[in-house]
Amino acid sequence: MASFLRKNRPLLVTLLIVAAVLLWMTNRYEPKVTASILLSGLTLGALYFLVASGLSLIFGLMDVLNFAHGTLFMIGAYIGFTAYANPRLILNTLPFALALLGGAQAGRWLGGLLPARFKQRWQDSSFLVLTFLLALALLFIGVRGFNLEKLVAATATATGGVVATDLAQEAAGRFLPRIILLAVSGLFLGLGLSRVGTAEVRQRPRWTSAGVGLILVAAAFALIPIRTPGEVFLLSVSSNVRFVLALVIGLLAGAGLGALIESSLIRPLYGRVYYQLLLTLGLSYVGGELVKSVWGTVGFYMDIPAFFGGSGDNCPSPNLWSWFSDHCQSINVLGRPFPSYRLFIIALGLAMFIAIALLLQRTRLGIIIRAGVQDSEMVQALGINVRRVFTLVFAIGCGLAAVGGVAAAPFLGVNLGLGLEVQLQGFIAVVIGGMGNYVGSAVGALLVGLARAFGDQLVLSGIHLPWMDGVVRMSPSIARASTVLIMALVLLLRPAGLFGKKD
Amino acid sequence: MTNILEVNAIHTFIGQFHILEGVSLTVPQGSITALLGRNGAGKTTTLRSIMGLNPPREGTILYAGEPIQGKTAYQIATRGIGYVPEYRAIFRALTVEENLRIAERSKGDLAKRGDLIFELFPDLKRFYRLPGGQLSGGQQQMLAIARALVPENQLLLVDEPSEGLAPIIIEAIVAALRQLAAHATVLLVEQNFRMASQLADRYYIVDDGQTVSSGQMADLVKDRPLIAKYLGAGYAGAGLVPAQSTTA
Ligand SMILES: Nc1ncnc2c1ncn2[C@@H]1O[C@H](COP(=O)(O)OP(=O)(O)OP(=O)(O)O)[C@@H](O)[C@H]1O
Ligand SMILES: [Mg+2]
Repeated sequence: MASFLRKNRPLLVTLLIVAAVLLWMTNRYEPKVTASILLSGLTLGALYFLVASGLSLIFGLMDVLNFAHGTLFMIGAYIGFTAYANPRLILNTLPFALALLGGAQAGRWLGGLLPARFKQRWQDSSFLVLTFLLALALLFIGVRGFNLEKLVAATATATGGVVATDLAQEAAGRFLPRIILLAVSGLFLGLGLSRVGTAEVRQRPRWTSAGVGLILVAAAFALIPIRTPGEVFLLSVSSNVRFVLALVIGLLAGAGLGALIESSLIRPLYGRVYYQLLLTLGLSYVGGELVKSVWGTVGFYMDIPAFFGGSGDNCPSPNLWSWFSDHCQSINVLGRPFPSYRLFIIALGLAMFIAIALLLQRTRLGIIIRAGVQDSEMVQALGINVRRVFTLVFAIGCGLAAVGGVAAAPFLGVNLGLGLEVQLQGFIAVVIGGMGNYVGSAVGALLVGLARAFGDQLVLSGIHLPWMDGVVRMSPSIARASTVLIMALVLLLRPAGLFGKKD
Repeated sequence: MTNILEVNAIHTFIGQFHILEGVSLTVPQGSITALLGRNGAGKTTTLRSIMGLNPPREGTILYAGEPIQGKTAYQIATRGIGYVPEYRAIFRALTVEENLRIAERSKGDLAKRGDLIFELFPDLKRFYRLPGGQLSGGQQQMLAIARALVPENQLLLVDEPSEGLAPIIIEAIVAALRQLAAHATVLLVEQNFRMASQLADRYYIVDDGQTVSSGQMADLVKDRPLIAKYLGAGYAGAGLVPAQSTTA
């Protein structure tokens, strides 16, 4: 018992403080108000957790502070929203990405096949510059005159105003050459990349990578005739299916982007902290600008899927049980309606927490990750390809953030400011919980989420000080700053964070 | 007797520093070979170079007749080389079981080697579910050696297993290493000269990043001037027993 108390002291102290605040709240507010503040806090906490967990995993294993994480959250929101409301845009741009990626895979394989004499003759750097220039030129020719704005404008399909398909979409005859050019561009990119890195990083090309490349390019071509029927089909299925699809696509896109960023940009910079910092910071700007150039500066509003959007005489649902049959937009919690979609966000956060915890505790990959957090060199010396694990973990972390973005879209909206706020709160959560500690990141995220919700309520109702008449009103920015205050407090008491080890 | 490992004039840099300036050594199959030298001589760096953790810039390393220099550490390890690093780098947050399991190269490795490991180190069985960080120093060293035994490694690189351990624990480790030699070839870095001389058949001495002497351990034991020159007067004076304790 005593040892249990000692071991879990940070958790217990946290619980104690939370309980005290709760007590104070129930004393001051009606229970239903307290409940809805708590639920709002949990909702935010779940979203912050999806960001913080990835940040924490990536920092723990690779010592990289990924300042592009919030941007990935935002990109997840945009991509998820697009998959949900504007499948046309996805169907018309996905072939580009597939062709480029597939070409690059094939190019890397080809690069490994180059005869040794050729390799000696070509200086690595000049080869790199030449292939990259060629790839860039082909890329530019490939996308020149492609009308992205009209495709983006087709978003109207979600709310009724439909842009005629052939108006926004290029005919196959014009589209096909673009895809071919992109595939060739990718080929040169891959050729160049195959020569990057020191000999120790370079790997023997495998047949499978060429195979994967070919499949990707084939998929790009196969998509061309499917664009229109695909869109018609996707718009005909229920919003629930599209929403699940959006989550999956967001996850895959985030993970894919993460893997790409790690394997191409971050990998050469391991152990060079300031360069990484500049790189990820720069990437977050690049990501923001890219989103701006595709989707414009005006944000979007994403509809809540039908599963959480029911309305009618019997709404709001009197309890969770009856909600499962009527799917009302809101559920009564102690007599106060609370949006059911936010409960979904909480459930999603919880599910992800459990999934990653199981991964870390029960699988070989999890053992490798936990060992790598302490000493990745030793893991490598045991015969494990740590580089691949790094890429995987980076992908998982970015995928989590992107899923968070998709889930947040119907709640916070889809806009350019989405990333910055969650990134800040995510970092604060990670610092509070202890850098690199998974459970810590979850607890930190919850604390930050609750503090935000509580702060918002205080701003709304003002603070009643016993020695003063009336209430003291605060500005909303104070609520936002309150989480920083908590972080400062935690760091004063426990410099390594609640769950951090002292070393 | 064939050589399982041949290191030919390797030059290794750490950052700007030229640490190894031509280390050469050969390890015959089935032997225990000791790598000796004073603090900072370059013993650890030699092992790390072989392992691919500090790849040499020049020179060749042949393992089982094939060059391995320039390969990544994980590729080198999977060829059958086990590494027991300095300061017992076990994974503190992982249980004893997980520390062993992570070393598996194919499923069932641990099941196959479990009997041997627990026979050598019964303590590990007792603390199977305890986090590695809660083991004593000696148990951690045993775990580090056991970890290298999980896959069927042909060659073990063992770096100062006696460091910081009490004499009675050192006895246990010596016994374990001796048994282990029946299963794998060992290249042993050791400051404790008595231990090294008990175990090894052959020796190499590195000094200032260069191999300066090599031969049969039995000859080195008698060569007091040589010991005094490279390993310190303390070793030579009182026969084989170092004057100071084994702890650094
Ligand atoms: N990261 C580093 N940067 C600069 N020099 C280093 C670094 N690591 C080791 N060295 C130097 O390399 C030399 C060889 O070190 P090494 O660890 O191989 O010695 P050693 O023979 O194992 O010593 P010991 O018996 O103390 O373990 C030493 O002079 C050391 O100062
Ligand atoms: Mg050493």
